[in-house]
Amino acid sequence: MTSFFSVFYLAIFLPVMVILYNVCPKKYRPIVLIAGSYFYFYSISGKLLIYLLFSTMSIHHIGLWLTDIQGERDGVLKEAAKEEKKAIKAEYLKKQRRVLFFGVMLHLGILLVVKYTPFFATNINTLFDAMGINITLTIPKIMMPIGISFYTLSAISYIFDVYRETIKADKNIARLALFMSFFPHIMEGPICRYSDTAHNLYKGERTNYQCLTFGLQRILFAMVKKMVVADRLNDFIQEVFTNYSQYDGGVILVGAVCYTIQLYMEFSGTMDIVIGTAQIFNVRLPENFKQPFFSRTISDFWSRWHITLGTFFKDYIFYPLTMSKPLKKLTTKARKRLGNHLGPMLAGAIALFCVWLSNGLWHGAGWQYIFFGMYHFALILTGNIVEPYSRNLLKKLHINKEGLPYGIFSMLRTTCLVIVGELFFRAEGIKAGFAMFKNMVFNFSITSVKNGQIFALGMDKHDFLIVAISVIIIFVVSLLKENNINVRGEIAKRNIFIRWAIYYAIIMFIIIFGAYGRGYTPVDPIYANF
Amino acid sequence: MERLIEILEDIQPQADYETCTTLIDDHILDSMSIIALVAELEEEFDVTIPTVEIIPANFNSAQAMYDMITRLQEED
Repeated sequence: MTSFFSVFYLAIFLPVMVILYNVCPKKYRPIVLIAGSYFYFYSISGKLLIYLLFSTMSIHHIGLWLTDIQGERDGVLKEAAKEEKKAIKAEYLKKQRRVLFFGVMLHLGILLVVKYTPFFATNINTLFDAMGINITLTIPKIMMPIGISFYTLSAISYIFDVYRETIKADKNIARLALFMSFFPHIMEGPICRYSDTAHNLYKGERTNYQCLTFGLQRILFAMVKKMVVADRLNDFIQEVFTNYSQYDGGVILVGAVCYTIQLYMEFSGTMDIVIGTAQIFNVRLPENFKQPFFSRTISDFWSRWHITLGTFFKDYIFYPLTMSKPLKKLTTKARKRLGNHLGPMLAGAIALFCVWLSNGLWHGAGWQYIFFGMYHFALILTGNIVEPYSRNLLKKLHINKEGLPYGIFSMLRTTCLVIVGELFFRAEGIKAGFAMFKNMVFNFSITSVKNGQIFALGMDKHDFLIVAISVIIIFVVSLLKENNINVRGEIAKRNIFIRWAIYYAIIMFIIIFGAYGRGYTPVDPIYANF
Repeated sequence: MERLIEILEDIQPQADYETCTTLIDDHILDSMSIIALVAELEEEFDVTIPTVEIIPANFNSAQAMYDMITRLQEED
């Protein structure tokens, strides 16, 4: 069982879980979910389940440790004179910071060792080689438990929130275990916050008609995205990105566009199945996508794509850094010298750099991911710097920034920039990324399309047509959502014949046009490898 | 309150701070403005604004910011 789209998951595991969950008395339902989640994790990562158990136990302990310090502080403060209070608070804050540092480093340390050791060892060897030092580090093969990049961030957010006293440490280790391991979100997120999900998950609310139908509809829509579009594109994308040197710029451009479509369909489709599954258990998980291709700027794009990762970085890296004493001082000084616009940009740039370096590295241990992060850092920073100048220019040119024509132009510009970023992201190494980009720009030609060579690379004309039709359907649904039209709500209002006609049409669409069986290679869960 | 509105107008002049209650929701104040604003408020009102206070509810209107500053001054 490696994918949410596997027959075992959809036809056996999920139905069994739903039945067991609902036949059990309310108080035992969280236990059913924990047992099922651990079974799911074990079926993929085996004994590496120990990592998840360790993380759960450690955040339980660290949370209570922080609460003890906070409780002790409150007791001392009650007895203290007014003038002593500031010093007491500072003393206990130091104690808390030490525990926070320990907790965060413990989790980051495990992630660094498990995920990045081969990357660091390879780069050290290259460096030694270049310097003529005759030492070669052995590159270890470390097995990585599924979802470690996701549940580690959930664990860190829990420790931080207890430290900040926005949540109380949970004494109930079973609730924490379920928050960390809930099987729909363990593999690819969304990255959940304790305050949003833990208590709802543990309530054990029964499945009702509305959450069952809404959940199933969302799973069905996910299957269109994944099985009809993402899987169909897979062979073509693999061919173009593996043998890129054999193709002209036109093919590379189509490959880059197709990969961006595939990534969106695979990841947002997985989020649909994850959130849909949770909904069947009457649990609401946070959304991870909000029509990202309607973004007018790159900054806007990242507030609509992988939303829970973006908000994690904003809340636990960007603001803590910019709100730190040295950067606050820098902002105050820089504002006086450089003014209101460029002044805060210095501290902001330092924090943004850290955010995007972390974002790049989080996606994988490879230079192409670091480049991907730096590319978006440069785009966002440039966007921030030129914003007032471009606003003035548009005013002088009498172009309405809020109007539809400029809106469409902005969306297309953002999409083009995203496609370039994804080209480097998918490329097999940084060198390959640059070679493909160079080829796409300087060797652009539509010969391969004209002579039909492009239709012999894993996708024929019919495949392209099916993908195009599916993308148009999904685009229309996104357009309706962007205009605040609740598509599922609207379908639910129709009479039974129309409703079932729509459901059957979608099921038939998946059965007829889904890329499964012989001759197709389904795409692996892309984000599960991050 | 008057001083607070002066600071806001200095940082981002294009808003009606007397009435607007959606400064963050409508992207009138972005993250860069918040960085400048927090540094300025701390200096002007002699308070420390911890990261945990950087939430839309505290920055959506001048009144919300004023309430936050008053609360933090009392806590200090």
